[in-house]
Amino acid sequence: MRKYVLGVGAALCALVVGASALLAAEDKVVHVYNWSDYIDDTILKEFEAETGIKVVYDTFDSNDTLETKLLTGNTGYDVVVPSGSFLARQITAGVFRELDRAKLTNYGNMDPAIMARVAIWDEGNKHAVPYMWGTTGIAYNVKKIKERMPDAPVDSFRMVFDPEVIAKFKDCGVYLMDEVDDMHQIVLNYLGEDGNSQNAETLKKVVPVLKAVRPFVTKFHNSAQIEALANGDICLTMGWSGDMLQAKNRAIEAKNGVDIAFSIPREGTLMFFDMLAIPADAPHPDNAHAFIDYLMRPEVIAKASNYIFYANGNAAATKLVDPAIVNDPSVYPPPDVMKKLFVVTPYDAKLQRVATRQFSSIRGGE
Amino acid sequence: MTFGAATREATRARWAARASLILKPLQSALDAFPPSRWLMRRLDRRALKGRLLAIAPPYAWLLIFFLAPFAIVLKISFAEPDVAMPPYTEVFALIEDAGSFFLSIKLNFSNYLLLIEDDLYLRAYLNSLKIAAISTALALMVGFPIAYAMARAPRRWRGALVMMMILPFWTSFLIRVYAWIGILKNEGLLNGFLQWLGVIGEPLTILNTDFAVYIGIVYSYLPFMVLPLYAALERMDESLLEAASDLGCRPVKAFWVITVPLAAPGIIAGSFLVFIPVVGEVVIPDLLGGSDTLMIGRLLWAEFFSNHDWPVASAVAMILLLILVIPIVLFQRHQAARQEAAR
Amino acid sequence: MASGPTTRRTFEPWDDPKSKPILRVSSVSKSYGSVTAVDQLSLDIHRGEFFALLGPSGCGKTTLLRMLAGFERPDTGRIELDGVDMTAVPPYRRPVNMMFQSYALFPHMSVEGNIAFGLKQEGLPAREIKTRVAEALALVQLPDYGRRKPHQLSGGQRQRVALARSLVKRPKMLLLDEPLAALDRKLREETQFELMTIQEQVGITFVIVTHDQDEAMTMASRIAVMDRGRIAQVAPPTEIYEQPNSRYVADFIGSVNLFEGNYVGGDGAPTMRCAEAGCDLSLAQPLLVAPGHRLWVAIRPEKLEISREPPPPGTLNCLSGVVWDIGYLGDFSTYRVKLDSGKIVSAAEANRMRLTERTISWEDRVYLRWVPQAAVALLS
Repeated sequence: MRKYVLGVGAALCALVVGASALLAAEDKVVHVYNWSDYIDDTILKEFEAETGIKVVYDTFDSNDTLETKLLTGNTGYDVVVPSGSFLARQITAGVFRELDRAKLTNYGNMDPAIMARVAIWDEGNKHAVPYMWGTTGIAYNVKKIKERMPDAPVDSFRMVFDPEVIAKFKDCGVYLMDEVDDMHQIVLNYLGEDGNSQNAETLKKVVPVLKAVRPFVTKFHNSAQIEALANGDICLTMGWSGDMLQAKNRAIEAKNGVDIAFSIPREGTLMFFDMLAIPADAPHPDNAHAFIDYLMRPEVIAKASNYIFYANGNAAATKLVDPAIVNDPSVYPPPDVMKKLFVVTPYDAKLQRVATRQFSSIRGGE
Repeated sequence: MTFGAATREATRARWAARASLILKPLQSALDAFPPSRWLMRRLDRRALKGRLLAIAPPYAWLLIFFLAPFAIVLKISFAEPDVAMPPYTEVFALIEDAGSFFLSIKLNFSNYLLLIEDDLYLRAYLNSLKIAAISTALALMVGFPIAYAMARAPRRWRGALVMMMILPFWTSFLIRVYAWIGILKNEGLLNGFLQWLGVIGEPLTILNTDFAVYIGIVYSYLPFMVLPLYAALERMDESLLEAASDLGCRPVKAFWVITVPLAAPGIIAGSFLVFIPVVGEVVIPDLLGGSDTLMIGRLLWAEFFSNHDWPVASAVAMILLLILVIPIVLFQRHQAARQEAAR
Repeated sequence: MASGPTTRRTFEPWDDPKSKPILRVSSVSKSYGSVTAVDQLSLDIHRGEFFALLGPSGCGKTTLLRMLAGFERPDTGRIELDGVDMTAVPPYRRPVNMMFQSYALFPHMSVEGNIAFGLKQEGLPAREIKTRVAEALALVQLPDYGRRKPHQLSGGQRQRVALARSLVKRPKMLLLDEPLAALDRKLREETQFELMTIQEQVGITFVIVTHDQDEAMTMASRIAVMDRGRIAQVAPPTEIYEQPNSRYVADFIGSVNLFEGNYVGGDGAPTMRCAEAGCDLSLAQPLLVAPGHRLWVAIRPEKLEISREPPPPGTLNCLSGVVWDIGYLGDFSTYRVKLDSGKIVSAAEANRMRLTERTISWEDRVYLRWVPQAAVALLS
């Protein structure tokens, strides 16, 4: 037994020594953890060529995955991309280091209006800069909707929250988001309440609305709708703007005759921002700053938007983005729609529990 | 201290019995599998010189990968959620007061109280148990004929058949479950096939229902049922059925009075191996189930990820563990008592 | 190699034309693929017989037994039990029980449960089952073992439980598949006699399959020696031993010296010309074959007389050779003698004297002789 322990110990020592040797040798590296399908790969290659810093790129597809990793600590990542309200909580938990503005030479390119919006999560924009932003809207299969309801209010959340409307689409499949916070905030906004309400009593008003439409909902999910919509398995869903445009493109590429449209409902909806931030325990903070600064160059971030169909928060970049995207109201909404978009702050633990509980019981079909 | 020694001995025997209940059939299934036989021979030759060396690894395994995490989860279940890294308060703290050190232990029972107060959790536990029980029964119904056929196949085929049963494990579990989406969806393979046959006019809605969950679970966990069953059935002497027939017992009845009781260890082991993980299953109901498939695994996921409430998630996990462990322990006691009585 | 007890001598229903056999097997064949296990076999067995199917492994004896039990269906032919055609009757409806070589005791049931199993299938009332189980246990002398499980019994005890289980239904015929093969030698010998006693007590017809000639010789009223799916000879043990009808039977039962030669006629003193023996061998009776016909003389080792003294000239059947090997078996010694022709002949002699006083030794020249009645002339 003794021999075994010694053996294992020696092996561990070797591993640790080896690992630290590696770290020392690979100083010119930056570990990035971003959403999947969220960057043009050539940007990474060009960054490497220009700076000599190697990019190790990992992806996730939910804020929850990212947050759990961040709260556990020692992720080894230098740059992460949480969404706004998650960022706020993570800042409170002490996950991030403050950005060093001196190292971010392109900071001045950012859109002040956007920076003001994201400041509700990050006071004084100390910890993060926006990468991309989008909305939660409605996507649908044009043909199937027309067949079932020629005068369907496709530019309204009535499509999914009005029992009489949604009932017509039950047979062809309807998904709603499986996101506790978003669903509450969007429904409250639809009801004319404050979407960002932090009042437990107000939150209860969501229940009857969702319960009424529950029988017509096939599934609550956050990512399955891309595939299901593109394949024609469902005809109506709530979804994140970029995802839904992705679904649209997939259907076009597949040439399966499925025509998908995305709309930002006229009642207004939730706006989300994916933020570039540096964990407090990031091993290569200088490289992380260099990477973020690179992404704030107008021509770089414009290239990213052209590739992923999302709007960026870089004022200087707008004129460089493909006009087809800038003029797409579902990516860059017109000012009157912009006014109706809102952002939210995270619920505290108690309210979070109320919301989750409410939503679980609705989802469970009680 | 003879008393202590005796208790220890008894405890050890109980543990060994408990482990063997599940491990033995698996062991014999593995034994039928040539590469593992080769491996075991090598291990035998090398490692089993000292008794200590032989029993130390499983105990060390248990300590490192079960007891230690268990202790950590138990600790977290008594903490309070906090916006911090990690997101809960410390239960144990060393406090200095006037030069003296005190260990402060702060236990928060409200996580457990919540599980009692809100019937959501009770219903989720019950529903998970129900789904696990039905899945186990289905897996048994599907797995028994398969295991039976394997055990009665010509000896030279059996290794290959066991191999085929294990083969799906070479592919990712997630990919296999995803493949079922393609099969079960409205425009999927199954509906296409049935419509082509003319059996149905309109596609059947199978995906996003409990039925799809059962299909996914039975498919995924079938090997865990089949292998112990196969091990038990393969050991069975075929002449027992001939003897029963010779003594005037019809084949169908012989199946129930001879085959099934003799396969009981395999049935029990297989059922445990399916039932226990299915109770906590998350992925299959998430991918194949509808939104009203309420399972404790999903709830736990929501506590952990949506509510960011690690303490309640830990409490849910602790209760789940109790729900699973207590029946097993009781069953073991019962088995041990029966064996004692038989002796 | 003794025959059965004297009481059996008079029990010879097979010689009585009026006796109707309880089992009649007519022209039964069974093949597995290209292998013929049982080939056009016919056989009658009479009520109360202790009948042995004897033969080497692969001779078809087990297949025949399994067809009698109903586990195998014959390809052709007919099996009749007590006048009823059983050919297509499944095992669970045959009034026949079998005792398996492995005993096939149900490991999850007690001894009582095992024995009661067959009675329960008949739907007998619980009280009767209890009495009959107790009787059966008493019969096999295990009255207090009812509550035990099979794994708590010794090999011999398990064998008895298996016997009790197959007897308790009072079958018309009991089939025993190598019933003693799993026992050690001493126990086997004891059990042989016990089986015979029990058979006499219950009066059920026993059909036993064995590859052990001693077992068959000791227990059976008649033996069928089987060879490649056919019966070579059916006869009582003494006849099988003393009057084998072929070299195969002679060779299979006990050991035998075979001499090959050609028939030499002569009404008074028929002989066989034999090159191996180096002389003519005289036969007990004349044969109904033409002179020159090929035949064999079989002589058992214990029927040879061995001596160092040359016999008086003119003695019949006198061979001469050199002692090649001596095997000491305790009760007997076997001498292997190399004849002048090079052929090795075995002779057995009871050790009536102490070993030290033995007179024949290695390399001695010895003389072997026998009376013509001790040998059998075989035509095949």
